[in-house]
Amino acid sequence: MNSSSSNSSRAIFAAFLSLLIPGAGQWYLKSRWRGITIFGATITLAFLINWGLDNFKIGQIVAGGVTTSWLWIVFVLFAAWNIFDAYRMARGEPSFTGLGVAGAAVILYTLAWNVTDINLDRLITRLPDAAKVARNLVQPDLFFQDDAGAWHPSENFGDIFGRVEDQPAPEWLTRWGLVAEDQKVPAYAAGKLIETIAMGLLATLLSTILALPISFFAAHNIMARLPGGTIIYYVMRTILNVVRAVDTVIWGLLVIVWIGLGSFAGVIALTIHSVAALGKLYSEEIEHIDPGPIEAVTASGANLFQVIRYAVFPQIIPPFLAYTLLRWDINMRMATVVGFVAGGGIGFFVLETIRKGGYEQYAAALWAIAVVIIIVDYISAKWRERILIGETKVSVAAPKPFYKSPRAIAYAILGIIGLVYCWDVTRIDLRTLFEPAPTFVRLLYDFVTIDLTPDIVEIVVKQMIITIFQALLATTLGALLALPFSFLAARNLTGRSRLSVWIYYLTRFVFDVLRSIEALLYVAIFAFWVGIGAFAGTLALAVTTFALIGKLYADAIENIDMGPMEAVMSTGATRLQAIVYAILPQIIPPFVSYSIYQWDINVRMATIIGFAGGGGVGLLLSTYFGMLQYHKAGTVVALIVIVVALMDFASAKIRERMV
Amino acid sequence: MLKVEHLSKTYPNGTQALYDVSFQVEDGEFLAVIGLSGSGKSTLLRCINRLIEPTAGQVVWNAIDITAAPTSELRNIRRQIGMIFQQFNLVKRSPVMTNVLSGRLGYISPYQSLFNYFSPEDRRRALANLEQVGLSEKAYVRADSLSGGQQQRVGIARALMQEPKLILADEPVASLDPVLAHSILKYLEQLNKERGITVLCSLHFLDLVHRYATRAIALKDGKLVFQGLPKEIDDAQFKAIYGQEAERVSIV
Ligand SMILES: Nc1ncnc2c1ncn2[C@@H]1O[C@H](COP(=O)(O)OP(=O)(O)OP(=O)(O)O)[C@@H](O)[C@H]1O
Ligand SMILES: [Mg+2]
Repeated sequence: MNSSSSNSSRAIFAAFLSLLIPGAGQWYLKSRWRGITIFGATITLAFLINWGLDNFKIGQIVAGGVTTSWLWIVFVLFAAWNIFDAYRMARGEPSFTGLGVAGAAVILYTLAWNVTDINLDRLITRLPDAAKVARNLVQPDLFFQDDAGAWHPSENFGDIFGRVEDQPAPEWLTRWGLVAEDQKVPAYAAGKLIETIAMGLLATLLSTILALPISFFAAHNIMARLPGGTIIYYVMRTILNVVRAVDTVIWGLLVIVWIGLGSFAGVIALTIHSVAALGKLYSEEIEHIDPGPIEAVTASGANLFQVIRYAVFPQIIPPFLAYTLLRWDINMRMATVVGFVAGGGIGFFVLETIRKGGYEQYAAALWAIAVVIIIVDYISAKWRERILIGETKVSVAAPKPFYKSPRAIAYAILGIIGLVYCWDVTRIDLRTLFEPAPTFVRLLYDFVTIDLTPDIVEIVVKQMIITIFQALLATTLGALLALPFSFLAARNLTGRSRLSVWIYYLTRFVFDVLRSIEALLYVAIFAFWVGIGAFAGTLALAVTTFALIGKLYADAIENIDMGPMEAVMSTGATRLQAIVYAILPQIIPPFVSYSIYQWDINVRMATIIGFAGGGGVGLLLSTYFGMLQYHKAGTVVALIVIVVALMDFASAKIRERMV
Repeated sequence: MLKVEHLSKTYPNGTQALYDVSFQVEDGEFLAVIGLSGSGKSTLLRCINRLIEPTAGQVVWNAIDITAAPTSELRNIRRQIGMIFQQFNLVKRSPVMTNVLSGRLGYISPYQSLFNYFSPEDRRRALANLEQVGLSEKAYVRADSLSGGQQQRVGIARALMQEPKLILADEPVASLDPVLAHSILKYLEQLNKERGITVLCSLHFLDLVHRYATRAIALKDGKLVFQGLPKEIDDAQFKAIYGQEAERVSIV
């Protein structure tokens, strides 16, 4: 009696707290994260409703002579839910979390739908235009048939893959007297795709070399041993996070002011982003090594360098290699788009074809990219698997040193030749790094002293919100579409009949092809279909989301424990019941967690799709850069860094709590 | 009575796991199935409720031919046969209660159950069964927060929801320590003695067989090599089942 009356007075107090400050009741009831989340959500929703009404007249209604938004009604319901939630929690009754989430979702999706100027009718009215692109996509300009009926590689094929043509003989051939002074010799002129591959390879190599030492400065367990090391650690980590938050393509914009257009600029932009990403992964790996061997080696009287050499290196080399391979995959993908701004590589080529309206050439480039990326993806995954599982060769003889194995020597020579060739193809010229264009210093100064005039901030914030909503809609759309297909692409659920095996391979293949092309490259298709703008960008993002998330979902389904399925089936349940009780509880958490992760990734992607006409903050950024207003560009980049870092943090926190 | 006649199983990859196995189980028996790892114990138990389709032979239970039953009838048969697994096979993220209730799925309409709706009667039954295995206070915690022994007891409660006449237990104690092994087998023994439920249980340790089983059969490389009382397994029999090198070990 006594406890129940104190319980209900506690419940009323908690509800009252939540009435005053949303989330305060939950906080008081020791659900700290719930409280903070509700508080943050309330403020954000209120701001967004107001912002939507001001900027886009979203949900505008006139009630009793007052112009307002009907979304405020939903907002009031959300606030009421929050009070009710605190009340129920205090009484120990289960709370209806779903209701609160639904209220917030109504507000967010209404806003998202309006600001990304979704025009579903255009999808239909302009279908003929889309059909034209589609026809080009299946008939890429790669080969042509001459009058005799024989097939030849087209001009465009040469542009992409390279061609053999007569060029002035290189100097060493004449010096050795092999050819005459001005004689021409046939030589292979690399195509744009080859250039792109070289860019990705070089950037991976350079960034691995640079990230290695950096990662030690960003590893807490190493730095804590040095005087003042902890400060260096925090500074390093912050720098890495900021650099990582800015997309490679945006780095490209900065780099071209420094060293001019070209594939060299692309390599540098790729390397900058890659160093930061690898540095972070490497340093986390260093932090997670087993302290046992370090203790043992230290106990034997070794100094810090010996400890690193004998206790740290052997532990970190396999995971480092695995991360480098993963990064190689990512760098290859980024290399296909960095040319959009930096010039060079297939990205630049795609940009040119779009400008000229050459959709057959554009289609050929997409197919070529898909082939390369699928191969890279496969090799990288295979090697990573081999490294992490580790080959255990049983051998009694001591291993031969590296320089005595003919195979190793052959690989080394091939590697060096490849490296030199890449260096040559991408026209690396390290001297230009130290002779920046005269405008570069001004750019840096303007860029760092960002423009904080309210007008500019308002414009930038507006585009940023649109960008975030684009990512939200694209994630939702892509994930919903991917859901049914992911079941078809899961080995353990598709049956063993011939038809279902075919469906399995077909679905996986579609995922792989769509996944291999960056959203930025898809924008052109949708811009042609529904017109340039945020809608086109959202659709392009949705396509990549569909493929990326579809694969993640399917892998999650393949990883579930089939034991419960067996147990439920053994009770006499139907297949449908068994799926609901044994499979769904296992896949919902990873699905939600992947979707949130994908939203996080999509926000990054959405910051650049504007470069290809996909709207959002990217368009603003390229405009400011184009008009040499580095001041304002700095504002945009600063906001991107903040938003991406926040999203990163929030998504990691939420996913952590999901498991 | 359960009659297994000339049962054979060949897996799609060509492994023949059972060769022409025949035996009978009277109602109310506690039959132990023994044999080395890979001898076909799991395959045998799963062929009985057709989680695995046998390649040849028959399983006849109380005059019903399980092996010939169409899918619709299979559901009726399965719900009378409880099954307990070595790895417990609980849905780890779902609450204990939902796991126990899932034992009732064979009885209720598929569409109702999609929304986690169970009748108050079923919920009462679930609580009573949890009480029986001594876990009534854990009803609403997540299954993965329980210890191994507790998870297996949830597995038993789930099987009890079916009001089974027969329980198939596939190495129910192989993932548990010896003390827990006895506690789990005591529950099975109690169900066998008090409710007259027939139990088919595969076991690894011979002293557990001696302690709990009323009769035993032994498999070796998929063939039935012994059937009789546990005490009839003498040294010669033992060597025939487990191979010449085997030594008797015992657990507490
Ligand atoms: N799905 C399957 N596909 C192919 N072969 C299988 C399959 N399941 C089991 N086998 C094989 O059938 C044989 C019998 O396996 P079974 O699992 O029935 O043995 P067991 O006596 O239960 O062994 P354990 O004590 O290890 O559980 C083994 O040789 C096993 O490798
Ligand atoms: Mg087994």
